[in-house]
Amino acid sequence: MRITLALALLVALFVLGPLLVVVPMSFSTANSFEFPPPGYWLGYYRSFFGDERWLTPVFNSIGIGLATMLLTMLLVIPASFAMVRQRFMGRSAINLLLMMPMIVPNIVMALGYYTYFSQLKIIHSPLGVVLAHTCLSVPVCYLIIAASLKGFDRNLERAAMNLGASPLRTFWEVTFPVLRPGFLVGGLFAFIHSFDEAVVAIFISGQAASTLPRKMFDSIRIEADPIISVVSTLLFAVVLLAVLSPLAWRAIVKARSQFRAA
Amino acid sequence: MTTLRNERALLWLLLLPVVGFLAVFFLVPLSQVLYFSVMDPGFTLKHYTAFITDGFYWKVLFGTFQTAAFVTVLALLMAYPLAYMVVRLGGAFATTILLIVTMSFWTSFLVRTFAWMVILGNNGPLRAAMEMLGIVPAPQLLFTRFSSTLAMVHLLIPFMVLALYSVMKKIDPNLTRAARSLGASPFDAFRRIFLPLSAPGIVNGCTLVFIMCLGFYVTPVLLGSPREQMIAGLIGQQIEEFLEFGEASATSVILLAVTLTVFALYNRFVGLDKLWG
Repeated sequence: MRITLALALLVALFVLGPLLVVVPMSFSTANSFEFPPPGYWLGYYRSFFGDERWLTPVFNSIGIGLATMLLTMLLVIPASFAMVRQRFMGRSAINLLLMMPMIVPNIVMALGYYTYFSQLKIIHSPLGVVLAHTCLSVPVCYLIIAASLKGFDRNLERAAMNLGASPLRTFWEVTFPVLRPGFLVGGLFAFIHSFDEAVVAIFISGQAASTLPRKMFDSIRIEADPIISVVSTLLFAVVLLAVLSPLAWRAIVKARSQFRAA
Repeated sequence: MTTLRNERALLWLLLLPVVGFLAVFFLVPLSQVLYFSVMDPGFTLKHYTAFITDGFYWKVLFGTFQTAAFVTVLALLMAYPLAYMVVRLGGAFATTILLIVTMSFWTSFLVRTFAWMVILGNNGPLRAAMEMLGIVPAPQLLFTRFSSTLAMVHLLIPFMVLALYSVMKKIDPNLTRAARSLGASPFDAFRRIFLPLSAPGIVNGCTLVFIMCLGFYVTPVLLGSPREQMIAGLIGQQIEEFLEFGEASATSVILLAVTLTVFALYNRFVGLDKLWG
């Protein structure tokens, strides 16, 4: 038991340690990857926020992610209703089709899109990346939205219709509001999937539509640009904030209720 | 009768957008890869025969398998005690560990790959520590098979922990307690009760990690040895440097076939719908 605990703690350190390395690196004065840093300053943060070569990919990634999110939701939400609520011929074939982008390795699709989008003349354009990322985001978005639909109590709809609401009105005033959080989570996952996707973006986004992961990949491979540590730290900070804020929120709510009780 | 027909129409109206979209923007490019692997410009199998007769390609394929298997085993050996202690101890310990794992899970692969670049780099802490311990000169760590393997284990461990945890948390702790009260040693109770019950988690985690590893592009390319490529890196090189789309397509089809085989095996013995929870 004690040995297992020691082992578990070592593994936890192995998981956490590398994440923390990038933070001091971003304040380092060194112009190459040197650790521990020889000195500290904020110079690379200033460079990052004034550098078009980094800011453009950031905005590209956000724009492409939002467009992917919208398009994926528009495609997946109606399909999820059909898939969860109906039994029909060909259902399992469509289920397989919806999951396939998750099964095919990304590098294979990168090659497919490279030649296909060259023919369609949308290679190296944001449109091409959005179309590709939408395909790749369909499975994860579908899994989440279908799961939230399966958990929906259809008696709510029956009650509304029983009280005289039309099917359309039932949908807008009962079904949709109840399911909205699930839809939004599905959309959020599509956004994150697009924002983090590297392989396809490396091959089809080009200079003009370069996404942030592509820029990071190039900067590690070719330039050893120290600004990458700033970008890494900022991305890590966003994750940290997202993971910790629900915990903090719960603590605040708890503290407040204790305060009220006292 | 008409309502039935309307329902059918509505059904296909709901499905048509996503099916049409995936047909045009997913199935067509995917079939093009298959097409280009056998057409150059007329029908030919030369890209496949090149792959089969050239020892270099076999080495890449075998090396990819070996690395994927090694990463999977290492990730399992490390993730298992962690997930086990999370379930056993619970409370603040479990919350903290799961928090760390989730944090790592959501942090971009590129950020984590960069972190390993720093740790294993020539001016990094690991080589400095080795030199302090008297290993002079410290060996080159970056751009070796060691560095890409280590980084891939780190990148994929969260998947393994979460797969194990989701199964382990459903195991009734009373079962091991019952075994103990009937005279089993702690190790026997673990080996004969807990371990078999956690097997679905092991199978899920290993399948996920192995498949992700087979097609891994970014990390082996950035951290690995240029002489010992993995198959995804080879495809990338055939596209970018050699502009050999025929060969790249054939290599892709082989990677796809291997991946689908693993999925098919999983589907045969477990059922694909269980893989994603």
